[in-house]
Amino acid sequence: MKKSTNSLPNQPPRWADQLLEWFVAPHLLEYIQGDLHENFHKRVAKVGIARARREYLWAVFHCLTPFFTKRQTVKSSYSNQPSTVMLSNYLTIAFRNLWRQKAFTAINIVGLSVGLASCLLIVLYVLHELSYDSYHAHADRIYRMTMHARMDNKDINLAYSSGPAGQALLRDSPGVEAITRLRKEGAFLVKHGQDIIKEEKIAFVDSNFFSVFTIPIVKGNPKTALVEPNTLILTKTIAHKYFGTQDPIGQSLSLGNLGLFRVTGVCEDVPSNTHFHYDMFGSFESVKTGNKWLSSGAYTYVRLREGHSLAQVETISRGFVSKYIAPEIKEFFGMEFTEFQKKGNRFGFQFQPITDIHLHSDLDDELEANSDAKYVYIFSVIAFFILLLACINFTNLSTAGSASRSKEVGIRKVLGSVRTQLVSQFLTESVLLTFFALLLALVLVFLLLPSFNVLSGKQFTVSDLVNGRLLMGAVVCSLVIGLLAGSYPAFVLASFKPITVLKGKLQIGGRGGWLRNALVTTQFVVSIGMIVATIVANRQIQFMQNKKVGFDREQVLVLHDTHVLGTKAEAFKVELAKLSSVVKVASAGFLPAGHTSQSVDGIQFRDGTRTGTHRTKGYYIDEDYLPTLGIDLAQGRNFSKAFSTENSSVLLNEAAVRTYGFKNPIGQQISTVGDGSEGSKHTYTVVGVVKDFHFESMHQHIAPLVIFYGKDNDQLALRIQTNDIPTLLQKIEQQWKATTDNPFAYSFLNERFSKMYQSEQHISQLFAVFAGLAVLIACLGLFGLAAFTTHQRTKEIGVRKVLGSSVTGIVTLLLTDYLKLILIATLIASPIAGYTMSQWLRDFAYRIDLPWWAFALAGVLATIVAVLTVSYLAIKAALVNPVKSLKAE
Amino acid sequence: MKKTILGELEELVLLVVASCDEDVYGVPVMEQLQLHTGRDFTISAVHTTLYRLEEKGFLSSSVGGATAERGGRRKRLFTLTAAGGEVLLEIQQTRTRLWQSIPQTKLQLMGLSSNPF
Repeated sequence: MKKSTNSLPNQPPRWADQLLEWFVAPHLLEYIQGDLHENFHKRVAKVGIARARREYLWAVFHCLTPFFTKRQTVKSSYSNQPSTVMLSNYLTIAFRNLWRQKAFTAINIVGLSVGLASCLLIVLYVLHELSYDSYHAHADRIYRMTMHARMDNKDINLAYSSGPAGQALLRDSPGVEAITRLRKEGAFLVKHGQDIIKEEKIAFVDSNFFSVFTIPIVKGNPKTALVEPNTLILTKTIAHKYFGTQDPIGQSLSLGNLGLFRVTGVCEDVPSNTHFHYDMFGSFESVKTGNKWLSSGAYTYVRLREGHSLAQVETISRGFVSKYIAPEIKEFFGMEFTEFQKKGNRFGFQFQPITDIHLHSDLDDELEANSDAKYVYIFSVIAFFILLLACINFTNLSTAGSASRSKEVGIRKVLGSVRTQLVSQFLTESVLLTFFALLLALVLVFLLLPSFNVLSGKQFTVSDLVNGRLLMGAVVCSLVIGLLAGSYPAFVLASFKPITVLKGKLQIGGRGGWLRNALVTTQFVVSIGMIVATIVANRQIQFMQNKKVGFDREQVLVLHDTHVLGTKAEAFKVELAKLSSVVKVASAGFLPAGHTSQSVDGIQFRDGTRTGTHRTKGYYIDEDYLPTLGIDLAQGRNFSKAFSTENSSVLLNEAAVRTYGFKNPIGQQISTVGDGSEGSKHTYTVVGVVKDFHFESMHQHIAPLVIFYGKDNDQLALRIQTNDIPTLLQKIEQQWKATTDNPFAYSFLNERFSKMYQSEQHISQLFAVFAGLAVLIACLGLFGLAAFTTHQRTKEIGVRKVLGSSVTGIVTLLLTDYLKLILIATLIASPIAGYTMSQWLRDFAYRIDLPWWAFALAGVLATIVAVLTVSYLAIKAALVNPVKSLKAE
Repeated sequence: MKKTILGELEELVLLVVASCDEDVYGVPVMEQLQLHTGRDFTISAVHTTLYRLEEKGFLSSSVGGATAERGGRRKRLFTLTAAGGEVLLEIQQTRTRLWQSIPQTKLQLMGLSSNPF
């Protein structure tokens, strides 16, 4: 046999040994190879080298079986030991390390806990938003029946339905188990003994209301409490307010013009996560509901029978149009239904799941202003981003900090630690750190809860926070974060080679550098995006607040509920007008901001041969209204007492003139459709045109408006001119007290106006807060990263200084790296933020253009913050005496 | 006790280990097997069997002296455990019982020796 060069005489073939060494598991190799060699030498003596070698080969090939290749699992040899011993060692080491690197630990924990805290708050908010109306028994089978129509090319989407629609549905559709209706009649002055209190939260409901909605009745018979007219169920709180500890059952309250109501039941307070919040529920029988489909309305809720599909009920409701509505069309509009349809008009009913109302319903006349799913999404995304930022920080700082642990890893490996042990050690540490952060986050949330409530308009309590599920979720989440964020540094550390590490070489420098840079860039993308969003939202709100609205909202005082004055109203007005600081007083039931009366009517106009009908909003004002509010006339004249025909005069706004197509509006005739009966139709002559003013929010374009002459004494508007408002208010209150016992309430028009955009303001404030947090977290991350790289470049800086580099030169050198990252982040963030915010702006009929400087400003802000963060470290590093930095090993 | 079935080779290896005065390792076991059965066994087969028997609890092992011809590699030394002894006895008893149940004349008729014991 040919001798291979690498085989010594009297030795087995080298390559066969190598094969053996490669193939056989280490824990078996020594013994089998020893035996093979021993046998080989014996065989050499007996049968000669050549044959022995062949036999050796043969024997080696026989070793190539799964039995020999199977590696011993390390775990098995440790699993017998109590793992608590190692765990307690890990914990000790972890504590020591965290303590030794106090600054790092603080940055790490603070960053993560700020992230966790804001995330917890947002989750609290989002969960509450999502939980609306889901607590009702069979909530999945309860739907609200809504009415939708299209008339004169205008869509009408109403949250309520025709008055008779519910009963018809119960009659005609076998799939309907129950229907219940609700009517709101506005605010009432509730009289109890001598006290008169204004109550806004009063609803009138069918007697089965509390069996459809799960609001427990604590006193009274739930079945019969609301069967009779003028019966009333109060919530616990309101019952206590009126009757204290007395038994409210059988007591009576007087509700405005509806007369005396007998309290027949007490229910629990309506949970905050309900799409309505009423304090008093009168019986439906107490209020009149018309039986015409087109001129009556009630919020109608339908509970389906189990197993019945909504589609079936929808089909039946479609039949209602021809069955019930078509005959009324003729009565109201004077045309056949087919003709009505030919003009593109239509009617229909829809059903919304009750759980969708709060987030997905934005119809006319909602019971309450609903929220928007959009904001839930936005906040979920923000929560996710903030948490992501915090996690990135955590990973980044841990990885950077791990450089100082490399020696420890080396020693541990030399002493026999295996990879899995090291990984679990570092994971233990990061989980420990996350739990610290969680504790701190809980404390933060606890402290911030009151201000968050103000910001979000919710009433969260600590008990909401510590209810098992959320806390459990937080703990599990922290565990996952700890494991995820800790896994990268853990695996990096565990993969250190003991020899290189102990020699003093850092392996971590180049590797993972790009990752850390990418992570920091991501952080700044998010931060810059949020800064842009904050700027844009703020600009839009300022724009809305400052836009010329067409009326003068400064120095206008509004007195509420002046209708209680009844016949004394005129005298009261005259008295007020006498006050020196009151310029003008007007009846102002209709106001462009805040509480206002509502009126909508079909308006028919005739212009030459052209006729048309438009559903138009109406105002009823007196002759003092326009000057009081500072609304200007474009053409014609204001109403005046001097004309006896004012009851058939009318003013239009410019939008109405455009819509009706009047070239010469003065003198044109329009007529109202009313409820279809001849008595309710009136013809009016246009005597003037007012300049457009924003009588609705800026989400909508200024709609046509018809202004009738009439007195709506629901509120009084006073144009005042004084710097001493308290004295004026005092005087007015004295007057009021002299005239009536009713409560005195007032507001200022400019405040009411600001409140219209409260939800936008909330959003913008929340944006600002979270943008601030994002920047804070990103800065912490940057600081950590800078600390790490600066430390790594100590030598380089020393050498540079020795070779004559100036302090500024070195600082610039260190800063450029980060500025590059921020520039990239700005470039990435700008289009994303720009697109998102232009989507948001589309919701507003009157909106700003996307300000290009917002992006630049956000970038500059981020740069400044970053420079401030890093320059401290950079300058510190640059000032160090090179002797020191070069000596340091 | 759970009955453990031993294969032929396993039984032979166990017997070889049992028959040695001292702890044995792969090579002597292989040689003894060859000596007694006349068949060739590879080291790998012997090792596999030894480890299997150890796993089953019939043998225990320790690490022992290295020699020059082994290239300084240590030996894995095996010795019989009590369980190993028990299982060997059990096997022998089973065999004896079976032997005794063979009719005397049957083997004689075949011209074979009648009683091995």
